[in-house]
Amino acid sequence: MKLMTCPVNGARSISEFVCAGEVRPIPDPNTTNDLAWGAFVFHCNGAAGIKQEWWCHTPSDTWFIAERNTQTDEILRTYLWGEVA
Amino acid sequence: MNQRRLPPISGEWIDRSRPIQFTFEGTRFTGYAGDTIASALWASGQQILGRSFKYHRPRGILSLANHDVNSLMQSGQRLNVRADVTPLDDGMTLSAINTFGGVMGDRASAIELFSPFLPVGFYYKAFNSKRLFPMWERLIRNLTGLGQVDFSTPHIRTAKRYDFCDLLVVGAGVSGLSAALSVADLGADVVIVDENAKAGGSGHYQLGNEPFRVEKTNELLNAIENHPKIRLYTQTQASGYYADGWIPLLDHDRLTKMRAKAVIAANGAYEQPAVFRNNDLPGVILSSAVQRLIYRYAVKPMNRAVVLVANADGYRTVLDLISNGVTIAAVVDLRDSLNSDVARSLDQQNIPIFLGYCVYEARANPGRDGISAAVICPIDANGNPQTGFKQTIACDGIVMSVGWAPAANLLYQAGTKMRFDKGLQQFVPDQLPSGVFACGRVNGVFEFEQKLIDGRRSGLEAAAYLGLGERIQVTISPERESPSHPWAIVEHPKGKNFVDFDEDLQYKDFPNAVQEGFDNIELLKRYTTVGMGASQGKHSNMNALRILARITGKTPGEVGTTTSRPFFHPVPLSHLAGRGFTPERRTPLHSRHAALNAKFMLAGIWKRPEYYAQLGKTRDECIALEAQAVRHQVGIIDVGTLGKFEIRGADAAEFLERVYAGRYRNMKVGTTRYALMLDETGVTIDDGIIARLGAEQFYFTTTTSGATPIYRELSRLNTMWQLDCGIVNLTGARSAINLAGRYARDVLSKLTDLDLSSVAFPYLAVREARIQGISVVLMRVGFVGEWGYEIHVAAEYASALWDLLLKAGLEYDIRPFGVEAQRLLRLEKGHLIIGQDTDGLTTPLEAGLKWAVKMDKPFFIGQRSLQVLAKRPIKQTLIGFMLDPNFQGTPPQECHLMIARDQIVGRVTSVAFSPSLSRHIGLAYMRPELAEIGDPISIRLSDGTIVSAIITSTPFYDPDQLRQREDVTQREEVTV
Amino acid sequence: MMRRISPNHDRLQSLSGTWRDINGMPSLMSIPGDEQTAAHLGIADLSFLTRFGVKGAGAAAWLESRDLEVPDRPNTWRSLPDGGIIARLGLTEFLIEDSLHSSFALRLAEACQHVPDRVYPVLRQDAAIVLCGTAIPDLLQQTCSVHFQSFSLNDHPVILTLIVGVSVTIIPIAPDRYRIWCDGTFGAYLWETLATIVQELGGGVVGADRLI
Repeated sequence: MKLMTCPVNGARSISEFVCAGEVRPIPDPNTTNDLAWGAFVFHCNGAAGIKQEWWCHTPSDTWFIAERNTQTDEILRTYLWGEVA
Repeated sequence: MNQRRLPPISGEWIDRSRPIQFTFEGTRFTGYAGDTIASALWASGQQILGRSFKYHRPRGILSLANHDVNSLMQSGQRLNVRADVTPLDDGMTLSAINTFGGVMGDRASAIELFSPFLPVGFYYKAFNSKRLFPMWERLIRNLTGLGQVDFSTPHIRTAKRYDFCDLLVVGAGVSGLSAALSVADLGADVVIVDENAKAGGSGHYQLGNEPFRVEKTNELLNAIENHPKIRLYTQTQASGYYADGWIPLLDHDRLTKMRAKAVIAANGAYEQPAVFRNNDLPGVILSSAVQRLIYRYAVKPMNRAVVLVANADGYRTVLDLISNGVTIAAVVDLRDSLNSDVARSLDQQNIPIFLGYCVYEARANPGRDGISAAVICPIDANGNPQTGFKQTIACDGIVMSVGWAPAANLLYQAGTKMRFDKGLQQFVPDQLPSGVFACGRVNGVFEFEQKLIDGRRSGLEAAAYLGLGERIQVTISPERESPSHPWAIVEHPKGKNFVDFDEDLQYKDFPNAVQEGFDNIELLKRYTTVGMGASQGKHSNMNALRILARITGKTPGEVGTTTSRPFFHPVPLSHLAGRGFTPERRTPLHSRHAALNAKFMLAGIWKRPEYYAQLGKTRDECIALEAQAVRHQVGIIDVGTLGKFEIRGADAAEFLERVYAGRYRNMKVGTTRYALMLDETGVTIDDGIIARLGAEQFYFTTTTSGATPIYRELSRLNTMWQLDCGIVNLTGARSAINLAGRYARDVLSKLTDLDLSSVAFPYLAVREARIQGISVVLMRVGFVGEWGYEIHVAAEYASALWDLLLKAGLEYDIRPFGVEAQRLLRLEKGHLIIGQDTDGLTTPLEAGLKWAVKMDKPFFIGQRSLQVLAKRPIKQTLIGFMLDPNFQGTPPQECHLMIARDQIVGRVTSVAFSPSLSRHIGLAYMRPELAEIGDPISIRLSDGTIVSAIITSTPFYDPDQLRQREDVTQREEVTV
Repeated sequence: MMRRISPNHDRLQSLSGTWRDINGMPSLMSIPGDEQTAAHLGIADLSFLTRFGVKGAGAAAWLESRDLEVPDRPNTWRSLPDGGIIARLGLTEFLIEDSLHSSFALRLAEACQHVPDRVYPVLRQDAAIVLCGTAIPDLLQQTCSVHFQSFSLNDHPVILTLIVGVSVTIIPIAPDRYRIWCDGTFGAYLWETLATIVQELGGGVVGADRLI
């Protein structure tokens, strides 16, 4: 099966991982209106493209970001949150 | 018996010192070890090996390459035995499938007479009529089918395994061997797989009676055998290409999941049949099958052959036939001229060669188990037969050598873009994905010397990819002739010129389908079912594609191919099933429960006691007794499956404030508080208890099923928020035991010095204590509504603690209770269960949990959504209900609906008979305007019966919480 | 005094062999014939060894302040004086396991009464297993998708992965000696599954004596 590279543990079978969806900036709950908040909560970006996604290596509980082309399923790079490319 | 067996042939696969007896269709035959079933039968003169799927026409050998679906057999309990490649085994009892009355006299062959009424798209059309469908279904089920399942066949489990290599080479023909050596010599760890019993491929049989090919092939094999970096697995099929070089390898025993850093496809090509009337009769056979019969099994394929050719391979087969005693009645070349040296050499030998001719039809022999003649005629420039000039040539075999289709399945699955090469008349790789390479005939390289060079070329490319060598430019010379003919297809007014042998599709089925509008390759496939049989189009897709191209005026490249999917050849379910791994969790008290006759259930992946069985008592009786023990004296339950977490740090309180809906930063050390967790949309997702053990230390619990996903999500949140705190998951590290009942304090006080008075240890407090020197955390929680303690201890001490508690409780008649009793007791207290009494849309506003939500906090997950929802009226609210105390009959169940004025106004979420209250109680959602305490409700059972109930306040039992007050714990009963 | 019980206790109880209490835990020390078994393929329970866990940004510094030499690279391990193991799990978590002759775990647990900021003690209640014998690769090939041969033992690798679906920490000590730790509540399933395959491969359960 597919390989995913955890930045800390290296390349492993995808069955060792869990995906938590696209990294999405959260609107400021104090300033955003109800419509915009509803859109954030319920409308996810379904278009194919290169996305930053939250992934977790479950045996080590390591959360990281994978940059993935959701059309070709190619994983371009993985990095820890807070690390700039 | 073996009248067709040739004298010993160098390199033959059979072992003449080991004859093997077997039966086929009740008749006894003899073959040799190393034979396949088909080769042994053919050697004995048995030509009919099976009956076709639709028309039940007699069929024999076509390819001997695992494409001969018409010779599928059943061997005892073993189904789908492929006679063309399955080795002969002692005592095999074989029968043909899909016949009525045996393979020789199949009565169902009468269907052929109805063939005008069984047009293409028959299934599609027949199934359109709903009324007639049951009749068709019965008929088709009786007439078709590929064997009889024996339901007593034992389940076989095979152990799957993983394997790893730098380079996987699929195919041990000369190009694959050459590729493997070039990479292994540079230090790579190489695995070669080949589905045949022995490696070497066509180098061992496409000989043209020349020893040179065999010698070169054996040279390569010797180098492989002794190479320390090469593993060769024969009788192993590479069944598909999955992501990142993940290839399932199937052999007789098991499935191996191979991870290869690079893959070279050297799979070769499938020989393609010519299409002419009666091209399916036993005796009409592919030329490579002929060569396999001779060189592997030493079987003379026929006595007198007409050989239909369109390439040099065909001429080489002629030479192989001649040198093994077969008379060549004619060579029929679809092309106008002699295009190769081997063709020209044959011309010198007084063999009748008909240039620009085709085989128009094969004539059956009187017994209809073979052929008696071939009818040939010239073809015009468009490939159309000139039937005015027919000639009939007597023969008992027609050999076809008209072309090839690449075995490119794995390449397609890997995402290779192929293009149609007009010169080669074949699809070849155009853009290969990273890490995937191709060589040999699958790459369009057919000449023997060039295959060796092409193998080396792809090996060097793979090596460079692996970082092991430099890319060296290697030139492959173009083919001197096309190996495949663009149109080896001859129309015939009487039909029976087959394109797909698995599905009995004739030529005319294709223009008929196109005429009906199915003029795209994917539609054509599904309408005609071409390529959907057990060989999955290996011998039929290419011809179907050519026909579609001709009809629609497109090139084969424009028509394209259908999607290739795993598996390459059929895979036994036993290999796929393997040994399943289904993890399970057990608390450290598991053996204690087993010793007490617990009936275990799965709660998520945990084993928990549902109840403890007692001799002579039903399940319901046991559960009621357990519940009564808790209400009247004291019970003990293992709640170790709960999620348990510790959070520490300066921001610990802040973190909890953000992830839970309530207020916690003002908790005093030593207290606990109910905690409700919401998701971003404001929906309830979990609940538990938060205990404050220190200024910067909290211990909190979650539901059993929530533990793992919640811990993961909290880790993610803290990764983002980077608060000054750390969370430790103690779910498996700590055991938790709940002691509940009016004697709970008496029991516990025997084991600890801690002051358990209600002043020192009030309701909802938490204390750290020691029992026999071991640290425990004690919490007084609501739980089942009795005075009780939840005791948390390190898992390794759980058994010892349980034993101490039981011993201490002996004088109070302490009883263990399980999950079912727990649910009943909690229901009596009106406690809801997240996921049972809430669903994916329930917010705290509907579930009566507003009190647990502090909207004035600066931020918590779900807050913003609740602000939106709070502006709207709620559509349902959670209520308690009770049935009449004298109710007899079937009680309602979860999800039964409440009906008012013919409308659905609510649904039941929990319901049970309460022994404490002697009546049925439950929780339900109800329209708010109909939810007044005391209002009647009607619950509709599945059969339409209406049960009346009344809306009640909760808790049902001990609404004033008297059981938690010290002065009442000695009272016998509590009135409701 | 409450006894410690191994997560694998129930499965070992029925085996005939010599038992001894170690660190307050009844432990199976030897089984007749286990010398040959251990050479080919053996599985033994080492849950009786004492263990301590700690994580957090301050954990490495805190351990060093307690005189432990901490592995400097993520997912590597070191030997402790007197034969124990200190493993760095990922970036900031540590597992310390004592040998029979050391007591770091106890001392560190006591020191946890007053830990500095960003040091979070982790209670370890592992099911701890050791595999021994030349047939270990055959067992791992059936149960784990990690290519162990690609690690150099000189690097002292620590591998966090799944075996038969269970999260584990694995340390290859030597080609014929592998240590495995998992959450104790998965211990029964892991042990039963591995022991079945071990037996199919011609090996068996061995006592802990020859492996510590």
